Amino acid sequence: MTVPRSPTAAPWRRALPWLVVLTLVALAVARMVYLGSVGERFNAAFFTRALIDSIKLGSLYALIALGYTMVYGIIRLINFAHGEVFMIGAFTPYFLFTLTPYAWPAALVMALILAYGLLRVVELFRGSMRDPVVLGVAAVGFVGLAFALASWSWPFWAALVGSMLATAVLGLSIDRMAYVPLRTAPRNSLLITAIAVSFLLQNVGLLAFTNRQTPFRPDTPLTAPVSLDVGGVAVQTNWLLVAIPVITLVLVVALTSFVNRTRLGKAMRASAQDAEVAQMMGVSVDKVIATTFLLGSLLAAAGGAMWGLNFGSLNQPAIMGILPGIKAFAAAVIGGIGSLPGAVIGALIIGFSENFLTALFPRTPTFLGITEFKDTFAFVLLIVVLLVKPSGIVGEDLSEKV
Amino acid sequence: MARVATPTAFDAIDPARRLRNLALTLAAIGVGVLVLWGLESVGSAKLTQALALFAVWGVATVSLNLINGTLGILSLGHHGFMLIGGYTTGLLILDEAARQRILTSARSTMTEQTLGISVANLLQSVGLDGLTTPETLWARYLIAIFLGGLLAAVAGLVVGIPSLRLRGDYLAIVTFGFGEIIRLTASTRLFSAYTNGALGFPGVTSEFGKSVWWTFGVLAFTVFVISKLKYSSYGRAMQAIREDEIAAQAMGVNVAYHKVLGFVISAFFAGVAGGLWVSWLGGVRLDFFLFQLTFFFLVAISAGGTGSITGVLLGTALVVFVRQYGDPLEESYAIRTWLYLAAGVLALAAAGAFAFRSLRRLRPRLHWGTLVLAGTAALAALVAAIDPAFLEGSFRGFGMRAIFLSVLLIVIMVFRPEGMIGRAEFSWAALLREQRTGPTDEERAQDAWLSNPKLNAGGAGPRDDAGPPDDAGPARDEGGR
Repeated sequence: MTVPRSPTAAPWRRALPWLVVLTLVALAVARMVYLGSVGERFNAAFFTRALIDSIKLGSLYALIALGYTMVYGIIRLINFAHGEVFMIGAFTPYFLFTLTPYAWPAALVMALILAYGLLRVVELFRGSMRDPVVLGVAAVGFVGLAFALASWSWPFWAALVGSMLATAVLGLSIDRMAYVPLRTAPRNSLLITAIAVSFLLQNVGLLAFTNRQTPFRPDTPLTAPVSLDVGGVAVQTNWLLVAIPVITLVLVVALTSFVNRTRLGKAMRASAQDAEVAQMMGVSVDKVIATTFLLGSLLAAAGGAMWGLNFGSLNQPAIMGILPGIKAFAAAVIGGIGSLPGAVIGALIIGFSENFLTALFPRTPTFLGITEFKDTFAFVLLIVVLLVKPSGIVGEDLSEKV
Repeated sequence: MARVATPTAFDAIDPARRLRNLALTLAAIGVGVLVLWGLESVGSAKLTQALALFAVWGVATVSLNLINGTLGILSLGHHGFMLIGGYTTGLLILDEAARQRILTSARSTMTEQTLGISVANLLQSVGLDGLTTPETLWARYLIAIFLGGLLAAVAGLVVGIPSLRLRGDYLAIVTFGFGEIIRLTASTRLFSAYTNGALGFPGVTSEFGKSVWWTFGVLAFTVFVISKLKYSSYGRAMQAIREDEIAAQAMGVNVAYHKVLGFVISAFFAGVAGGLWVSWLGGVRLDFFLFQLTFFFLVAISAGGTGSITGVLLGTALVVFVRQYGDPLEESYAIRTWLYLAAGVLALAAAGAFAFRSLRRLRPRLHWGTLVLAGTAALAALVAAIDPAFLEGSFRGFGMRAIFLSVLLIVIMVFRPEGMIGRAEFSWAALLREQRTGPTDEERAQDAWLSNPKLNAGGAGPRDDAGPPDDAGPARDEGGR
């Protein structure tokens, strides 16, 4: 999905990104030293905390942004509903680790829905519903899920995996029900449908969950407190500091190798370049698109569960998904839409701008501070990047021709 | 409802017919006024509110349709424009005591000096400070919504400029981004002397926003201006941009100018709609201007027919009806009742799918998905009828109206993307099922252009079928271009 840099580019052009990064780091260090001399509050711990938050948030945005970038790369759709998929992916583990074991009727209904989804997923990749593998997977899935839901109190890791699977089924069904009938429709119709799906999921979330904040405190060692010693000052944090970036890294590496090493990944890259020609060459573009939605939702669900862990609570469904979702989309655009490493880089930029930048310009008696504006940074960056360099940092040029 | 006849492809040049159409229009407006008066005096307060809301949202949807329908750009930032108009109007219409309360509110750590704009000075400079008595309030309100519109138009100018470099969904997301930036910025401390943060301020008079006369008056004005614009050379240029931007540019249409003009005019009316909206609500708060608002307008436009003013008003009526009269859906009922309701909806969906497949002559008519729907419906009804113990308790249908509207939008986009009436407009000729008898305004303009001797010395004269209006007859439909 990425276009390799041209080897003939002038050396200074190749060094330019590093120069920019170095300059920014130098400026940030200078500003930190200055702030440290001004206020007692702005010590090493203050900035370490901001750094940790930036990395964690950036990783979470990266998990969401990958879904946007893959879908946009292939069907040129801003999947507005992806933020809501992330929201569902955050609420599902909550319902798995707090409310299990379920009563039998509820467990049966849920297992039935999930097994049906599983059936359709496997059917898509096996080609026929009458295939014994398809029916077998669905049957085993139904029985297993029904027992697990009705008799087992789910630990966090199982809730995470279960939620990833359930959300993947959801993402795939969104594609089947709302986007497949519109494959040949104008792109604006597709975008409006995506907005409608996003709204639908928000309100189904309100209906099914709650309209208040939901505490999200599973029993897991990941949230055990850790104390870091930075320059003589203790910084209280927890193992998520390591867990979130590592899990993100593992998932990104797995995704990248899937895209680069497998047949289906090759088909994905081909469809991203030119879906029509790929179709003519025998690639089943529908299958590829379904895979894209599946993988994107899987990652978003992982992001959702870790989002809950990180903040200790989930916002109400109507606002939980939309803002992280649109920021992650901004990240995908900043990095260069259609590019996997671009999405990660863009997400880190957004994460840093939200936490580290606000720490560099804190509220002082003479200055208002920029914390209140941090939600707008993603939009401002998005608009600036689209106007100045629509291809993003590492992306290909997607400007429309005649 | 006031109807305004606009010239369409069906309008003949026959002056007698024009006069008749004008008379019919005036008569329709008269009947509309009478009906409105009757509804207002007989109907309940709820009905009056719903009517006023229809007009307020009508102003917003008709203006959004100028960008989305006529210009063909998907704009998602209308709530931002409305916010600007709404806050401006709210602030200018507040009485002195209420304004002082905002300034001294605990949240207002900033003063007006921070941004250097004093509302008191502003009121004085536009001559609003004298208009404090109840008798002169209307003039103050009128000036306030006008100023709100102007300020929103300035924002429209800012948002319109990216539209020159971007297209399609990128542009849509940028307009969305602008809308959100406006909303998020309005809640910050920087503007709290004007907005009182996210809390906003109550006490905006409802005298205008809940009066059908005011709101329908503004709606009629908006429809008049936008329909005149649509059929002017500006509107035709905008439609040319919608159909093919590059071709329009090649034909000499100033794409940049028309795009920005569309944004500015649309934002102006959105600001006016915002001013009416805060008056309808009786106060200003940040969550009155969520993206949800733009979404509802989008549903209205898509349901009615993108690009058609008539269709957009129909769609708005639908959305306002659901919003104002759908509240029984959001109340708390026994789970059993919900199961029956779900069974009913599923059965309807199954019947609809069956009818659709039969009408389209698709085989098999009874698709297995239809069977699954029907089976689930039967199962739900059965469970509800048995009423087992685990169905105890009740359930509140929180958000059902929004769910209904979003499902509606998805269904429209999948099955009928052109909406109820497509791009057709209301016209008397179409209503009376008249045949076309002569060339339309557009065709006459084309003929005049083609017969310009300077343009093409020996070539195309007037088209051969451009005879006198009466002999052309129905055959014109095949003739010409």
